[in-house]
Amino acid sequence: MTSLRPPAHRVHPRARLMWQLAAGTEVLVLTAALVITGVVLDLYALRWCMPVLLAAYAAVRVVVVPVWRFRVHRWEVTAQAAYTQTGWWSRERRLAPMSRIQTVDWDQGPLERLLGLANVTITTASAAGALSIAGLDQATAESLVAELTAKAEAAGGDAT
Amino acid sequence: MSDWQRLDPRMLVVEPVSELRRFLPVLVGALLAGGFARGGGLGWELLAVVVPVAIGVARYLTTRYRILEGRVELRRGLLQRRLRTTQLDRVRTVDLTASLVHRLLGLATVRIGTGAGADQDLELDGLRAADAQQLREALLARMATAAPGDAGTAPTEDVPAPPPPDRPVLRPVLRLDPAWARYAPLTSAGVVATAALLGVASQALPDSAWRLDRLPELAPAGWGWLLLAAVGVLGAAVSSAVLAVIGYLVTHWDLTLTRTPTQWRLTRGLLTTRETSVEDARLAGVVVREPLGLRLAGAAELAAVVTGLGDGEKGTLTLVPPAPTAVVTGVAGTVLGDDLPTDRPLTAALRAHGPAAVRRRRLRALAPAAALVAIVAALVVADVLTPWALVPAVLTLPAAVVLGEDRARALGHLGVDGFLVSRSGSLVRRREVLGAEHVIGWTVRDTWFQRRSGLVTLEATTAGGSQRVRVLDVPEGDGLLLAAALTPRLLAEVGYRTPASQ
Repeated sequence: MTSLRPPAHRVHPRARLMWQLAAGTEVLVLTAALVITGVVLDLYALRWCMPVLLAAYAAVRVVVVPVWRFRVHRWEVTAQAAYTQTGWWSRERRLAPMSRIQTVDWDQGPLERLLGLANVTITTASAAGALSIAGLDQATAESLVAELTAKAEAAGGDAT
Repeated sequence: MSDWQRLDPRMLVVEPVSELRRFLPVLVGALLAGGFARGGGLGWELLAVVVPVAIGVARYLTTRYRILEGRVELRRGLLQRRLRTTQLDRVRTVDLTASLVHRLLGLATVRIGTGAGADQDLELDGLRAADAQQLREALLARMATAAPGDAGTAPTEDVPAPPPPDRPVLRPVLRLDPAWARYAPLTSAGVVATAALLGVASQALPDSAWRLDRLPELAPAGWGWLLLAAVGVLGAAVSSAVLAVIGYLVTHWDLTLTRTPTQWRLTRGLLTTRETSVEDARLAGVVVREPLGLRLAGAAELAAVVTGLGDGEKGTLTLVPPAPTAVVTGVAGTVLGDDLPTDRPLTAALRAHGPAAVRRRRLRALAPAAALVAIVAALVVADVLTPWALVPAVLTLPAAVVLGEDRARALGHLGVDGFLVSRSGSLVRRREVLGAEHVIGWTVRDTWFQRRSGLVTLEATTAGGSQRVRVLDVPEGDGLLLAAALTPRLLAEVGYRTPASQ
C-alpha cells in the first residue's frame, strides 16, 4: 500500500457556506476599498484591469477555494488515534495517538455560531502537532470533545 | 529552610551593575547628547545612573524565596507583586549559570525548569556558589529517586529500573580541544560579529568620517579604488575570523560533557560559566549541523534535541561546537546509544528520494535565479539598468545549479535502531536523528505539484527542538514505510499495512 487512506468523515456541508461567507466578506471589503480610493476619493485613475483582477480573485476565493476545501477536509477518531485532513492546494494529513493528547479545545466564532458550527482543536506536547477540525456540526463537535477526552484519559500516559 | 529569605547580599552589587548595563545605551546616549549640547547640565546623566541603581536595589529588597518540603517559592516585584511556585516533583532541569560579575563575587544563579518553557522557569539569582551547587545536587538527587518515567517523555509503561550501583558515577565523554577553534571562522558567527561591529562603529563615529565623497582625495584615482575595496574586504575577513575564534573560546572554553547515572551534564564558558543537565528521558535525539564551510573542512557541530526546554533554538542544546566530524560522530553515538553506542544513525547510507525529488530540488533552486535574470533583463530592455547589471544576475544561474544538485544529493532518510534519520540542506546540511519513542505523531503534507509527482513532506512531531523532524519530498510509499517502521501501531490505526505483511 503506497498511500494513506483519507479519514472517514467529511465536515458539515454548511462549512462550505461558512468559508464562502468569510471569503465574501473579505471580497466586499476589498471592493469597498477599491471604490472608495479609486472612485469616491479619486486618488488614481481606475484602470479596467483592476475590477477584472478583483472579480477573478473573488471567483477563486468565493467559488473555487471553499468547494475545494470542503472536498479535502475530513476527520476520523479511531480507538487509539485522531486523524485529520485539511487544506486545499496544499493538503495536510495529521495523525496523533490518544495517549499523546494533551488538551481538547472547542471553539466557535460569530459566523460559526450563526450557522450552528464549531471547531475542535486537539493539542499534543509538540507545538507543531496540533490537529484541528473546522466546520463541524455543533452537536457533533460537542460529542467529539467528550469522546476524545474520555479516550485520551483511558489511553493514559502523561501525554508528553 | 521554611522562612522567607533574601538572596545573597552580594546581589546588592550585582543587581545595580546589571541594571546599569541594561541602561548602557541610554547612558551613552545621554552622555553623548550632554557632551554635544553644551551646558545641558548634569541632570540627565545623573538620572541615567541613579534610576538603574535604584531599580537594582529595589529588586534585591523585594525578592525573597523559600524552600518548603515539596516546593520552591519565589516572591518578587515592588509594584506588581508576583509569587512563583514550583513543585519539586515537577522539576525537570536545574541549571547553574555564573556571569563574570557573579564569579568575582562567588555567586551563581540557579534556574529551575519544569518543562513548561523557559519563561516559566524559576530563577534564583543569585546564591552563594557553594549553596547553589548544594541546592542543585539536592534537587537532582530528588529527581533521580523519583520515577524517571514520570518526569520524562518516555511512555510510562516501561519505567526504567534504577541504574546498577556499580556503574561509575561520573564518566567523561568529551573535553573540548581549544585547537578546534580553528573551525570557528568557517561558521557564520564571525561574519555576524563583524557586521555588528561595523554597525556599532557607523553609529559611534561622527558622520564626517564616512563621507564617501572624500574618498577620492584619500585614494589615488583608478586602481586605487580597487585597492581600497580589496583592503576593506580583507580587513573584514580577518576581523570576522578573529572575532569568531574569540567568540568560540569564550563560549565553549573548557566544555566538558559528563555522563552521570541518569543524566548528561554539560559545563562550559570562559567568563560566564554554565552548567546544564539533561535527564536521559528528555534527550529525544541529536542534530548534526554541517554549514558549508565546516563540511568542506571535514568538521561539524552537534546539538541535542531536548524536550521541555521550549521551542526552536531553546529546545536544542549544543553538545559539541564546531569540531572534527569523527569527534561529533563519536559523541553523538555515545549520547544516542549510551551503554550500547551506535553510530549507525549517523554513518549509515541513507535511502535516496528518487528522481522526482531531485527534479524538484533542481527546479526550486533554479527558479529564483531565473526570475532574477528575467527581471534584470526586463529592466535593461526598459533602459533602467545598464547592460552590465546582467553579468552578476547571469552568474547566479550556475550557482543555483550547483546548489540544486547539492541539495538533491543531501536528501535522504532512514529508520534504523529505533531512530528516525533525515538529512537535507546544502548551505547548512542537517542530519536529524530522533528516537522513535519521542515521535508524538505524524504530519503528511503535499501540495498540488507534489501530488502530481507522488511526493510528500513527512514530519514527525516531537516535544523537543524545532518540534518536528522533516523528511522533505519523500515518495509517499517510502515515507509511510518509514513511519510504519517507527510507530507501527499508530499507522495500523488508520488502516496502513506494510506491503510485506499483506
